[in-house]
Amino acid sequence: MTKNRWMILALAPLFAVLLLFEVLPLLAVVMSSFSRGGSWSLGNYGELIASGYHRSAYITSAWLSVLTTLIGMGLALPICRFLQRVPNGLQTIILTYSNIGANFTGFPLAFAFIIMFGLSGTFTLLLKAAGLIEDLNIYSIGGLVLVYSYFQICLGILVIFPSLSAITVEIEEAARLLGVSRLTFWRRIGLPILSPSLIGAAVLLFANAMGTYATAFALAGGNAALVTIHIGELVAGDVFSDPNLADALSMILVVTLVVPILVEQFWFKRRVRHAA
Amino acid sequence: MRLDPVRVGLLALLFVVLFLPIVAVGLNAFAVEWAGSMLPVGYTWGWFAQMVTDPRFGQAVRNSLILALGSLLASSLTCVPAILAAHCYYPKLDRLLGGLVVLPYAVPGIVMALGLLRLYAGNYGIVLTGSPWLLILGYIPLGASLYYMPMKSSLNALAVQDLLEAGYLLGVSDLKLQWRVILPCVRQGVVIGLILNFTLVISEFVYSNLLVGGLFPTMQILMYVLRGGSGHLLSVLIMVYFVIVLIATTLVSLIVMRRKEAL
Repeated sequence: MTKNRWMILALAPLFAVLLLFEVLPLLAVVMSSFSRGGSWSLGNYGELIASGYHRSAYITSAWLSVLTTLIGMGLALPICRFLQRVPNGLQTIILTYSNIGANFTGFPLAFAFIIMFGLSGTFTLLLKAAGLIEDLNIYSIGGLVLVYSYFQICLGILVIFPSLSAITVEIEEAARLLGVSRLTFWRRIGLPILSPSLIGAAVLLFANAMGTYATAFALAGGNAALVTIHIGELVAGDVFSDPNLADALSMILVVTLVVPILVEQFWFKRRVRHAA
Repeated sequence: MRLDPVRVGLLALLFVVLFLPIVAVGLNAFAVEWAGSMLPVGYTWGWFAQMVTDPRFGQAVRNSLILALGSLLASSLTCVPAILAAHCYYPKLDRLLGGLVVLPYAVPGIVMALGLLRLYAGNYGIVLTGSPWLLILGYIPLGASLYYMPMKSSLNALAVQDLLEAGYLLGVSDLKLQWRVILPCVRQGVVIGLILNFTLVISEFVYSNLLVGGLFPTMQILMYVLRGGSGHLLSVLIMVYFVIVLIATTLVSLIVMRRKEAL
């Protein structure tokens, strides 16, 4: 009896907070996305689908996220592989730094890139002097790709590194001694072993980019044509305020993020069952 | 496999690139003027002095630290006991908890903020917007996974069922067993959770801007306010923020290193 009382005391506060500040708010968004003028309606979704303005923001967000996920994964994987071979102390320092980098978002990150690549930024001047570029607009989509890539690489390192412990340097060495080429090793052994965690990491990076608001807002203000920025504009904007439309757009965004996660989970579970 | 110089060079280059944004902000914080030239024309403490004597700066740092402290207290007191209880006694609830804590990874901050706005801006008779309490409570779900992950990895490495059975045989109460045996074993996971949660709160912009904004200006809100200016003051503020985060992160890595040695 006393045990149960203590258990309730331990569990209830967290579950209450999760209910009140996570689950119910989300349900409120779902409900209000189907409400228009006080009655149930699919009108918000209809308006969004018909609107070229919001559709193009969705498409921009999607390709920006896919591109920076590929950049993040493509650079983080070789970096992590290399990190396995450096001494422990250095490894920890680099991982610590990646942790800072992955959290280095919003205004601090955007402003750092404005200093470097803004109209009279050091690198803008350098690249212009070298004749590599004619013009650089950090406030454009290209600028967002650059800035997003920064935190995507850092986040990629953080999430990929632990999973790499499944493939020790010794395994690769053993394969190499047996005459297996590096390419064959990765194609036949490395990637198949790692694929569940790599896909998981990619899904996380995609969701991270797709849901980014603060960094894009800090860099391009309300002008960036991205889903999250449009949601912010619909909620707090002076011109386009339409809360129900914001909710519907949010739901489309959430579904876009949840579906890959569910597919990944399902696929991974099936693989595990097959292997067992 | 030996380290070949080409790879070492590439890695070094990469980390220079990753480090550059911080260097740029640092230089700008102390630059007399930096426009149209590769490097600043001169250096000064002037911006730094101007920023720290600005009353908005003191207010923002104080608010951020109050928020962080309140958040740490609230999140650790709710998360730690629940994670222990769920793991040790209620595996089904534990699975539910695992799902709930990772939900914020699938639901972007702006969407969650929107939901909180729907519920607590007066539509249902409750007004929490404009108050730091909404942030303190709202950050708990965002930070829960930061306790859950490291604590679960410690708990999974622990033969909890054996310990519980040993406790029953010896007649030790569950509470005492949790407090004296299990909690000390996952102590490091808790500390990592605390520090990561601190970084989360001090870096968070979306909730604080949309839900509370100017009524309780934090460092992130002040950055937003300063964005239109010369940029030197903003750079000073970012450096101060960055030093705070760096200290927190260094603490995490020291703890992680100690944990590795202990194993």
